[in-house]
Amino acid sequence: MIQVRFAGLGGQGILLMGEILGEASVIEKKYVGQASSYGAEARGSACNSDVVISDSWIDYPEVTEADVLACMSQGTYEQNKTKVNASSGIIFFDSQMVKPDPASSLKHIPVPATEKALTELGNRMVANMVLLGAVVKALNLVTEESLRQALTSRVPPSLLKLNIKALALGFELGRIREI
Amino acid sequence: MPIQRKKIKSSLAPGWYFMQGDEACAEGAIAAGCRFYAGYPITPASEVMIRMVQRLADIDGVFIQMEDEIGSISSVIGASWAGAKAMTATSGPGISLMTEAVGYAVITETPCVIVDVQRAGPSTGQATRPAQGDIMQVKWGPHGDNEIVALAPWSVQEMYALTIKAFNYAERFRLPAFIMADEAVGHLRETLVVKEEVEVWDRYKAPGLPPFGTEERNGVPPMPSFGEGANLLVTGSTHDSWGFRKTADPAVQARLTERLVLKVRDFKDEVIETESYFLDDAEVGVLAYGFTARAALQAVKRLRNQGMKAGLLRLISIWPFADEAIIKLGKKCRVIFVPEMNRGQVAGELKKYTTTPIISLPKTNGEVIEPGEIVEGIRRNMA
Amino acid sequence: MKEKIFQMINTEAFPTPFCPGCGHGILMGAVLRAIAELEYDMKQMLFVSGIGCAAWIPSPHFKADTLHTLHGRAIAYATGAKLYNPKLKVVVISGDGDLSAIGGNHLIHAARRDMDMTVICANNAIYGMTGGQVASTTPLGSITTTTPKGNQEPPFDLCKLVEGAGATYVARQSVAAPIPLTRILKKAISHRGFAFVEVLSPCPTHFGRRNAFRTAYDMIQSLKNSCISTEKIRGMSPEELLGKITVGQLVDKGTEGGRS
Repeated sequence: MIQVRFAGLGGQGILLMGEILGEASVIEKKYVGQASSYGAEARGSACNSDVVISDSWIDYPEVTEADVLACMSQGTYEQNKTKVNASSGIIFFDSQMVKPDPASSLKHIPVPATEKALTELGNRMVANMVLLGAVVKALNLVTEESLRQALTSRVPPSLLKLNIKALALGFELGRIREI
Repeated sequence: MPIQRKKIKSSLAPGWYFMQGDEACAEGAIAAGCRFYAGYPITPASEVMIRMVQRLADIDGVFIQMEDEIGSISSVIGASWAGAKAMTATSGPGISLMTEAVGYAVITETPCVIVDVQRAGPSTGQATRPAQGDIMQVKWGPHGDNEIVALAPWSVQEMYALTIKAFNYAERFRLPAFIMADEAVGHLRETLVVKEEVEVWDRYKAPGLPPFGTEERNGVPPMPSFGEGANLLVTGSTHDSWGFRKTADPAVQARLTERLVLKVRDFKDEVIETESYFLDDAEVGVLAYGFTARAALQAVKRLRNQGMKAGLLRLISIWPFADEAIIKLGKKCRVIFVPEMNRGQVAGELKKYTTTPIISLPKTNGEVIEPGEIVEGIRRNMA
Repeated sequence: MKEKIFQMINTEAFPTPFCPGCGHGILMGAVLRAIAELEYDMKQMLFVSGIGCAAWIPSPHFKADTLHTLHGRAIAYATGAKLYNPKLKVVVISGDGDLSAIGGNHLIHAARRDMDMTVICANNAIYGMTGGQVASTTPLGSITTTTPKGNQEPPFDLCKLVEGAGATYVARQSVAAPIPLTRILKKAISHRGFAFVEVLSPCPTHFGRRNAFRTAYDMIQSLKNSCISTEKIRGMSPEELLGKITVGQLVDKGTEGGRS
């Protein structure tokens, strides 16, 4: 079983990251629990999207201690860094958005998601998919194909091409960072 | 009982789905044969309505967004008498508004399903946050005695499966059946495995027999529909077996109120459903239901790892209440802990059935109960 | 005709609960006569009512499907039944308090939706069953048990209310004119879409005796004197119209059948 938390601000597409990873895991016949929390504002409030993935029934489907934190804002990084498994947890962070805590002993992996989305695709809105692709690839959570399939069912057709490109960018970054 | 039980092909193709609890509830309704939905927007239950709009359009069912929750339940009752399997979904404030009509559905013996995706109250409270505060409300809200069925799903899978059961019980007993979900399970996305077939129970029809009375003290009469030539007399006033109002006849009032209760109580074992985990040698009992039971299961496992003989009894059905299971639990355990997202509603109910000490572990801050909190609560009290 | 009408009622439910002089019996007769003249099959009709004296007009007296609902909710129940089985001819018969006060929200929304149903409002300007309290339709100045010094609140004009909300057929008539009333009920019941008929029906027990009507006959006479048909109203000056009530057909819009 693995517990993954995506965190960031409303409008960054955090909820979608969790939903797509959840959907992709079910495509691979895995048991998934996916829950989100967010503030009342549609934009700008702190939000988390949690995914628990397992090969068997999950007793408690919410994240109690994250194995993986993927973070897109400084505030949510500060809120969540203590909720990561102290011995084996990993934090992925958007290197343009988050300045990691030098005192933390946790494994930190910078991902230039916003930067790459801007420079390579000219659209920072898809930074979420770059980060998702990188995390999934680096940890081998699901196959590229399952993730693309899940994306297709949740993104409007007009934006699909751009999002698939962003995922591919993420896969590249994840491959380099493979652990 | 002359109710028609049949296996039919499930409305969703068999397979694995990644689905939200509210959506799975709507899918369960469609699978059970629901063809009428009336609703009013409310967080966190609106997703049930959104899914029903889409699904009912596919299959020529009826959807209407009414002017308020009173209108929703009223049109559900009207549609049920027109022959529909009908449903509405709401949250606490909507249940409050619907409560008078729930009593009407009870006395007129109208099958219908009401989904309560519970949120933090009282009143408007915290609309986006989970709670389990409506457990007593659905049972005791309407005036007069009131036997209903209420089921508490703990997963997306059960949002689907128990909604189907709620429709079946509504038809079997001719009453309103509740799904007691909460924001956590309603908005949770999970794996839903859909099987080839579902079991669906259909309305008991027997033209010529009275629609509001049986020879037995605890029977469920057949139910004609409007337009069948039955000259139905449906009324929320006390009525005889043909529906004629008897507003001052003590014998009719006594017989009706007794039957409305006994038709459920005498057959409660058909509905009552519980699950036991690690109870065989348990000394410390935990009783939980709904989403909280999943935290309780984790907690019990952790306590076992720490050497404590803890066990969990999960209530799948809430009403009618699992009295015999509680009596047994009380005999087995030295103490029973009841974590719930309210100030001890079910903990209090337990005291009717056991003298074993009951310790309530309430949480009403609008957040779910986490496994660690139950472990800590039990440890603190057992020290 | 008389025999035909007797076949349409549950005679075992008689006598009706209506007081001597109550107008609801005349309305009951007019509704049945209208249906008989239209030659509608009672087995395809559903009568829905709320709570109050007028709610007893169809239930338990009509030999058809009847649904006697909660106070104020008749139209919402009727909406569900009609939507699920559009073949049903749905007629709601209830009182002014039931339909326009506690049930006012359902009334305006059913009109807005142009729900295919007929709503007959027996307006006696008072809460009769509960002992003569002021209603949303009680005239200014009238004495009721809750307005002992006279009603200070202006009443609804129910016909204008539902017209504004979108009703496609609206009419008003009094039980003092049973033949024109039957004619209007026939049009309303056969209308496709939302039809509303306000029927002025005297309550001698609770309204009349507190407001200087010595007998039920006086109330009927008063209705006869104050009601003026839509045809006669043309050319009358505002002074002549003071205190008068317009009766007859007020709205009749072509409709494609309303929502069902």
